[in-house]
Amino acid sequence: MSQDKDIPLAELRRAQPRFSGFEAGHRACLGCGEALAARLVTESAGPDVVYANATGCLEVFTTAWPESAWRVPWMHSLFANAAAIGAGMEAALKAQGRSTRVIAMGGDGGTFDIGFQALSGMLERGHNVLYVCYDNEAYMNTGIQRSSSTPHAAVTTTSPAGRERMGKRHLKKDIVSIVAAHHIPYAATASVAYPADLRKKVRRALAIDGPTFLHVHTPCPLGWGHDSALTIEIARLAVQTGLFPVIELERGGVAGVMPIREQRPVSDYLRLQNRFRHLFADDVRAREELEHLQALADHNIERYGLRPGHEADPLDTEGADTVKRGGVR
Amino acid sequence: MSVKITRGSFARPGTSLQFDTGSWRIQRPQHRHATAPCHAACPAGEDAQAWLALVEQERFRDAWETLIAANPLPAITGRVCHHPCEAACNRGNYDEPIAIHHVERLIGDMALEEDWPLPPSQTNGDPREVAVVGAGPAGCSAAWHLARSGYRVQLFEALPEAGGLLRSAIPPYRLPAAVVERELHRLLARPGIRFLPGQRLGRDFDLDELQASFAAVFLSIGTQRGRDWSIDGATPSDLHVGLPLLKEWMDVGAIPTWNSVAIVGAGNTAIDLARVLKLSGVPEVHIISHKAIPGPGVAPDDAMPAIRREIEQALEEGVVIHEHRGVQRLILRGEQVIGVELVHMKKLPDAEGRLQRVAFEGTESILHVEQVIPAIGQVVEPEGVQSLLGQRSFFRVDDRGCFPDHPRLFTGGDARGDRGTVSEAIGDGRRAALAIDRLLRQQAGDPPSPAQQPIPAEQLNLNYFETAPRPRVPVLDVARRASFAEIEGPLDTRQALGEGERCLSCGNCMACDNCWTLCPDVAVLKTREVASDGSHYLFDYGYCKGCGLCARECPTGYIVMQPDL
Ligand SMILES: Cc1cc2nc3c(=O)[nH]c(=O)nc-3n(C[C@H](O)[C@H](O)[C@H](O)COP(=O)(O)OP(=O)(O)OC[C@H]3O[C@@H](n4cnc5c(N)ncnc54)[C@H](O)[C@@H]3O)c2cc1C
Ligand SMILES: Cc1ncc(C[n+]2csc(CCOP(=O)(O)OP(=O)(O)O)c2C)c(N)n1
Ligand code: SF4
Ligand code: SF4
Repeated sequence: MSQDKDIPLAELRRAQPRFSGFEAGHRACLGCGEALAARLVTESAGPDVVYANATGCLEVFTTAWPESAWRVPWMHSLFANAAAIGAGMEAALKAQGRSTRVIAMGGDGGTFDIGFQALSGMLERGHNVLYVCYDNEAYMNTGIQRSSSTPHAAVTTTSPAGRERMGKRHLKKDIVSIVAAHHIPYAATASVAYPADLRKKVRRALAIDGPTFLHVHTPCPLGWGHDSALTIEIARLAVQTGLFPVIELERGGVAGVMPIREQRPVSDYLRLQNRFRHLFADDVRAREELEHLQALADHNIERYGLRPGHEADPLDTEGADTVKRGGVR
Repeated sequence: MSVKITRGSFARPGTSLQFDTGSWRIQRPQHRHATAPCHAACPAGEDAQAWLALVEQERFRDAWETLIAANPLPAITGRVCHHPCEAACNRGNYDEPIAIHHVERLIGDMALEEDWPLPPSQTNGDPREVAVVGAGPAGCSAAWHLARSGYRVQLFEALPEAGGLLRSAIPPYRLPAAVVERELHRLLARPGIRFLPGQRLGRDFDLDELQASFAAVFLSIGTQRGRDWSIDGATPSDLHVGLPLLKEWMDVGAIPTWNSVAIVGAGNTAIDLARVLKLSGVPEVHIISHKAIPGPGVAPDDAMPAIRREIEQALEEGVVIHEHRGVQRLILRGEQVIGVELVHMKKLPDAEGRLQRVAFEGTESILHVEQVIPAIGQVVEPEGVQSLLGQRSFFRVDDRGCFPDHPRLFTGGDARGDRGTVSEAIGDGRRAALAIDRLLRQQAGDPPSPAQQPIPAEQLNLNYFETAPRPRVPVLDVARRASFAEIEGPLDTRQALGEGERCLSCGNCMACDNCWTLCPDVAVLKTREVASDGSHYLFDYGYCKGCGLCARECPTGYIVMQPDL
């Protein structure tokens, strides 16, 4: 037993040397990637920010009435309209001459699908809002239905594997390219496996005047079917395989990437998740789909130039998560 | 619960803290210090992980104090130890092991240069006196640990000076006399230790007297008698024996320079003598070894027992090693040796499964040499200890070094027979001192042993480390080697700091913040003060749901999940 009886925890919690915008006691599942990402985003954004949150897991698990896990001004209205609410808040703050920043956020369903037109409008009108999409690759809050972000061949309750199909038939929507095509100053992807990179991108986006977008890959132990302890491992493998490229786009052009020092085969990533279990059956279709996913990963690597240079890059997939003794990560 | 939500209702910030998500948990994370492999492997009992962590923080003096809590002679062991810590080091599974012995040497030398005093005893003085006989590494270590525990120590030594084989046999090209001198002087001058040179057990006093006048006795007399050697009853008329010859050279600095020599043996004496002869200008130096040159694919029990680095350097210097070979016959002209007949040999199990040397007929060869020198090892000199030795060559004792039927009498180091290195001797001195302390304080049971199962590399999370090369020290070119110039140079301070940083901190928190950063439930809290388990983090079990993420991602394997139902 290693608990110190003499350090009062509640007091200690108040004295943490970081900004706490997102508190304990929320109802997210064990090992929830979205909860972790939201904590990291609020932590990096600091106190002078207001939030608009779309309907979805994050909204639900943080606000069991009359409680709230938020310590920042936070508002929820509908599934489809976080970007519109964010845009309205920004306009109101601007009218009052205030410098408070706005973050709008939602899940992949709320961003790629139902909230997409509100998002596009917000970007097109040039609102000074950071939009964060927590991508757990399905409608998790209502029971794991497929979204346009669900990867090809993944099983959800509405894209089962069976005689007809090997999971989802369609491809994952390339949201960051679509967003960047609005010619906005900054759009980036990030992963909970690389918190330092994620934090840097939140700060970067908030420092920019104009609409910015951050797409965060957040594993979901329940929906993806993996052990709650594996959230970071799986998120890391998504990046190391090339399935989730970590990139930055400015005005639509590639401005930065996280190179992959040692590319891992996609099967290392897929094997850990029940939503891809059917791909390891003795079935010609399964073998073909595995190859298909590998080709998609290779295509990402080629497209964004994720292969490492000759020198090991301290900010590549192996270097970006290096820890140090006594070092704030 | 029914709560009415009216227009304009809002929730207060952070009120989710009222909800106890800890009740969901079926397993809990806990901090657990595990023994690092380097620590478990160190015969002297050093916890390299602990002192490397201090080196990383540029706290060299604290590192030295942590180190000498186990081993008071780091400048010496940093030079001569065979460093099994590095063979065990988890970093070896990643890129290259930490250069532990180089860093050990550097901080040992720093302490000498900056004249850091040995820290005082941890406890109040104890009036009881303990006798230590023999001031080699085993005896010096025992004296240091007994003095640290507050006892008064009388350290008897037959020779005029302390050090044992460190001073008399290990050549200065790898252990400069000044280092031995300074490190021992610091130890012998420590309050609580009374050094009595020129006092030989069996000549100037006997065992009964010792046992009558001291609360406990530690015998660290090493092995002073050469094993008998002959080939079918024949020995050369002018027989020179390895260790005495080497000691003579250490004393007077000269050695006969024959044209060609064959040394029979496979240990450190054989190697050092061969190197000394070579460096003194003997053109042809051969070593006849029953065992193999250590290397990949050579079973440990088939490898020459000499330190591998020394074997490698001897080969570089032109010493010829005949592996798996034995001397079958001396070729004499009159009484004078002119050569030896060699034969291939190997140890094979006999009908009872015991290993026996077998010579293979048809593999004989002739080697012409002027001298054949046995260097086949030493045994305990029975004079003064005959009653303890009986018919055996070495003392037989339990793990703590205690003699059966003599609860206050201990031994360690080479005199045990199952030892043979400086660091084992130092470890024996420490273990016996701990056992004596427990005995005199009437505590039951064995002293706690640090050698628990070391944490394997699989329990670390190596994703969080970066590859980095192991530093190299300057080594004298073969052409520039001479018997009195130290061959290996030191690490510089910057390289040592780098090794501190490269250390994976196996099994011990390095305050990297990873758990604090990655907990989705904000259930890891950081403390400014060090928590009682030595880390800087507390789990808030009121909220921890037991997902196991922190344990999985902890780089150092310091968090384990325990059932919690
Ligand atoms: C040539 C050579 C090279 C070596 N190189 C290495 C190396 O590189 N690394 C390594 O780890 N090990 C090495 N060793 C082995 C190492 O030196 C020994 O294992 C170690 O010194 C044993 O320590 P000890 O204290 O048990 O005995 P010793 O070092 O032999 O010390 C025993 C002491 O007791 C004294 N003594 C003996 N009898 C009496 C008595 N009756 N009364 C009073 N005092 C007495 C002796 O004078 C001596 O000072 C080497 C050995 C040799 C011979
Ligand atoms: C218009 C509308 N349709 C359906 C719903 C039901 N609904 C609530 S949350 C949700 C899914 C949210 O999925 P996503 O945006 O991916 O977020 P996640 O829960 O996965 O974090 C749905 C379908 C709703 N609230 N509003
Ligand atoms: S990495 Fe450090 S702690 Fe681990 S075995 Fe090597 S020296 Fe010891
Ligand atoms: S994750 Fe880092 S800070 Fe946390 S226990 Fe492990 S070593 Fe210590």
